[in-house]
Parts: sequence; structure tokens; C-alpha cells
Amino acid sequence: MELTFWWVLPLAAAAAVLVHWLAGRRTGGTHARPVAHSERLTTLPEYRRALRRHRRWLATAVVSGFLLLAATALAAARPAERSTTQPELRNRDIVLCLDVSGSMASTDAAITGVFEKLAREFDGERIGMVMFDSRAVQLFPLTDDYDYIAGELGAARRAFDDGGDGFFSGTWGGRGSSLIGDGLAGCLRSFTESDSSLGGNGAAERSRSVILATDNYVSGAPIFTLEQAAQLAKPKNVKIHALNPGDLDYGEDRDQPGARLRAVAEGSGGSYFAPDSPEAVPAIVQQVQESEATAYRGAAQLIVSDRPEAPLLAALLAGAVFLAAGWRLER
Amino acid sequence: MFIFAHRKTLGLLDGEYGSVFKGRSLDFDELRAYTPGDEVRDIDWKATARHGAPLVKRYVAVRRQTVLLVADTGRNMAALAASGECKRDIAVQVLGVLGYLAHRHGDVVGLVHGDAAGSRSVPARSGEDHLERLLQDVHRGTVLDGGPSSIEHQFDYVLRNFTRRMLLVVVADEVLPDAAMELQLRRLQARHEVLWFTVHDTELANRADADAVEVADGSGIPEAVSADPAVRAAYRQAMLEREHRRQELFRRLGIAEGGAGSSAQVLPELFALLARHRSRRRAASRGQRHAG
Repeated sequence: MELTFWWVLPLAAAAAVLVHWLAGRRTGGTHARPVAHSERLTTLPEYRRALRRHRRWLATAVVSGFLLLAATALAAARPAERSTTQPELRNRDIVLCLDVSGSMASTDAAITGVFEKLAREFDGERIGMVMFDSRAVQLFPLTDDYDYIAGELGAARRAFDDGGDGFFSGTWGGRGSSLIGDGLAGCLRSFTESDSSLGGNGAAERSRSVILATDNYVSGAPIFTLEQAAQLAKPKNVKIHALNPGDLDYGEDRDQPGARLRAVAEGSGGSYFAPDSPEAVPAIVQQVQESEATAYRGAAQLIVSDRPEAPLLAALLAGAVFLAAGWRLER
Repeated sequence: MFIFAHRKTLGLLDGEYGSVFKGRSLDFDELRAYTPGDEVRDIDWKATARHGAPLVKRYVAVRRQTVLLVADTGRNMAALAASGECKRDIAVQVLGVLGYLAHRHGDVVGLVHGDAAGSRSVPARSGEDHLERLLQDVHRGTVLDGGPSSIEHQFDYVLRNFTRRMLLVVVADEVLPDAAMELQLRRLQARHEVLWFTVHDTELANRADADAVEVADGSGIPEAVSADPAVRAAYRQAMLEREHRRQELFRRLGIAEGGAGSSAQVLPELFALLARHRSRRRAASRGQRHAG
């Protein structure tokens, strides 16, 4: 709690002192009736009682008048509450990049299930989804139509659960299967180029992340290797979060598929997870969500809000008491 | 209209002037026509019968009487009287009328006045100039920032400094004499003759346009409090009792007391006081005859 116009208080105090001084000077000149033998009146108990009552009302009037002045001066000084908030930026773009080769079905189902639920709580985020096997197919582009997203994700999840081949037919027919690099490159195409080049300030820029679910087992000849695809992510500032349910690396060799995936994910600023079972996926997604959330808190904002309620309420009460006392004294 | 003295003079030399104190002498001066206010017993009935209209005997006053005016000139007397005038103005008027009566009667008039700080006296003398000076003294001496009132000091001064028999006229406000003052008055009354004229103080519990301030100590009386109906009722009751006690006290001491609250009341009240004083004298002399 602080005062916007703190200088009102010394001004009000100075004005009060000045008025008091002027009033004191004026009453010095007013005439009072000189009387003698006032003990004729002042020794009467009735007079004493009435005088005590009178003094009580006077004191009430003085105190309430002072409170009224102080409260209105305080209100005039505009008490304000200054608080800093870090608004959570909800302008994230998430592209689900799912390898739909047979080994990944249960993980994909878990991921789509999680996002199907999350989509109902999202506000401002955009979600897109791309499936790939030998070709990348965009199931839906980045959108914030959450009902639509939920519907599409629900259909995808059922297809993953059922193994509904017709759903994935567009992902076949390329040269080979599980062309991870091409898939990732396709996923990254979901992000428009223009944002970073056109985007003026950083606050308006949307954070971008790809949730890449793959075991990184390539069979075939992709156009892009994983590393080349990851290079595409750099200028677009996309973080790649990798989920590898089948991390079957032998040893610490950096050419092992899991290790390569990890290198790519961490190289883009993302993270790498190797869940043992699909049940672990929701926790991982949650973790990614939260890390994104903390990473993309907005700049601290100063919020100054006027809080005149308490002084004005006090002024109202003091004014009411003052009027009552004044009425009683003038009667 | 004369100021009567009740008792015969006590001094050896005064012996043959016993009646002079009453404003008369044995030396017959003249007869004159009766005017209202003359003593009925001064009428010369034989001359009246001869003349056909009431005639009054006049005597030459052989010995002059001393009238000592005792006035409070403390700041109490600068306060307001019942009429809203300054009590000083009413007191000066009372002193003036008394002094003038005494002057016309050929008496000498002295003055003792003052406050708690001290008493001042002006020796008894005759003449209008002297009277004027007395009144000026009282008028100038009575101011709001003067000393506090204490008529006891003036009584004490009179007791210490005046042993000759005199006629004492006290002009003060509504003092309620306490036991000490009652003793003083008793001693004064034994030595002199005392008349008391009260200048009535202002009404305290009433609606007024300003707060009141006590001149003795400067304490204030808020108008809002003194105008309270309960306070006013209690004040009226208390004032009745106080006045009753005062009257009782003066009656007990045998002092004639009168009073006025405004300058318009001064003359009638003063004459009423002198008439009371005279009738008290007659009652006293009747009592003496019965005793003798």
C-alpha cells in the first residue's frame, strides 16, 4: 500500500494547522459575557452533568472531524496497491509429431489421449498434429479450435487403439518406412516462417515446440537425416521434445538411435524422455507443459490499483458521526 | 428624603445632638407645606389646623452626619448585571443618588473601595465636586482586568480605620456572606449603621448570544450547557434558595437590604430601601420603649 500523491498529506496537515491558527486568532477577539459569581450555576450537579455531556459531544465532534479530514486527505492522496505479476504467456504453439510405425502405437495413443484432455483446458495455445511413417501427413494444422482439436485427437486415439489402418494410409507409399528426418522436417513445416522474421518484439513471439514421439529406427533412405531436420528447427526457434518408448541403444555410442535423438532434442533446447511404458507418458507431457510454462512467463508487470475504499468508508463514518455531534451541539 | 440614623450618638460631645442624627434639631427653622414623602409625624398639626393645609416643621441640622460609601471595585463589578448593563454603571448610579441625597442633607460623604489587592479610601467631605470625584474613582477603578473582588477586605479596612460612628452604605453584588463576613458585618453593625444595596448579577442559565466567562478565574460557561432546560430549572431553584438565605442573613443582622438589576430600577429600589431602613428604626425604637 502506498500513496500516489503523498504530498497531499503534508499539504493537508499544513492547511489544518493554518486553519486552526486562524480560528484560534479569531476566537481570541470574540466577546464573551463577563459574569461574576458563576458558582451560582457551576456548582449545580445538573450543570456539571450537562457540562460533561457537552464536553463528550465536543470531543466526539473534534475527533470525528479530525478523522474526517485525515481520511479524506488520505483518500485524496490516492492510496494504491502496487503489485507485480508475471502473466503466464499462453501463446505457445505445440505440434505433435507422431511416428505411426507399428512399434509406436501405444505411445501415440497415450500422447493423443493426454492432449485430448489438455485441449479442453487450453486457452491461447495452438496445437497441430502431424503423423509420419514414410510420409508426413498433417492431421490438422496449428489451431486453437479446441473442440475440433479434441475431436481430431479423439479420432486419432481410437485409430491408434484399434490399429485402424485406413486412418494412416496417407503415411505410406514413400521410399522405405519410418523416415524420421523427413517426418520431423514435415512437422517443422507446420510453423510459419514469417513469425520470427516479421515478428517485432520478443513478447509477441509465440513459443514453439514439437513433441516428437519416435524410436528413431530408420528403415529406408530419407531426404533429411534427423540432424538435417533439426537444423530446420533452429531458425524457427523450435524446441524439440523427444519421446522414445523403445530406447534400445547398445552402449554409449553416439551413433545409436536413442543417443542421436537425445542429441537432437537437447541441441534444440528441448528434452529427451525414454518412458518404459505408455502409462508414464501423461507425466512426461505434464512435465514438458510445465517446463514450457516456466520458460515462457511474461516479463514482470507492475500493476498499480487505487484502493480508496478504506479511507472513504472511514470518512463516511466519521462524517456521519461529525454531523450527529454537530447537530447535538447546535441544538 | 433623608438617610436616617437609628441610634443616638455615643460620643460625649454628641449628647445634645441626639436628634440631629435623625436629620433634625431642636432649633426650629421654619414651617413649610407638606409634600408627599415627608414624615407624617413631622406635620405640625396645630399650624395645619390654623392654616387649613398640612404644614411640616423643619429644623436646622446642627451636626452633620458622616456617610461612608463602601464599594466593591474589584473585577466582579465590571461584569454584567441582570439587565445586561455593566454592574459598575449601576453601582455608580446608586452611589451617586446616595451621595446626592447626603449632600443635599448637608452630610459629608466618604468612600472606601478596592479589591482583594487592597482598599483605598477617600476622606469624608462635602460638596458636589467631592462627590463627583468619588464616583470617578469608582468608575475608573472598576475594570475587567482589575483585582479580584473581595468586599471582606473593605470591611476589614473600615473596621480597622473608622471608629467614629457613621452611616455605612455597602454597594456590592450578590455576595453570599459566609460566617467570617457575617461576623464582620455584625461588628460593623454594632459600631455603625449599615445599609446594603445589591447590584443583581446577570441571569446565568438562559438563552444568550454568547458564552459566559467568569471574571474571577476566566473559566467559561458554554451557552449550550447553560441553556439546557434541566440546568435552567435547577438554577432557578438554587437561586431562590440562595436569595432566601441572603435575605435571612440580612434580617438576622438587622441590615436593611435592597437591590436593583438595572439602572432604571435604581431610584425606586433605593427609596424603598431607605423607607425600609426608616421603618426598621421605628420598630427598633418601639422595641427600646418596650424594653424601657
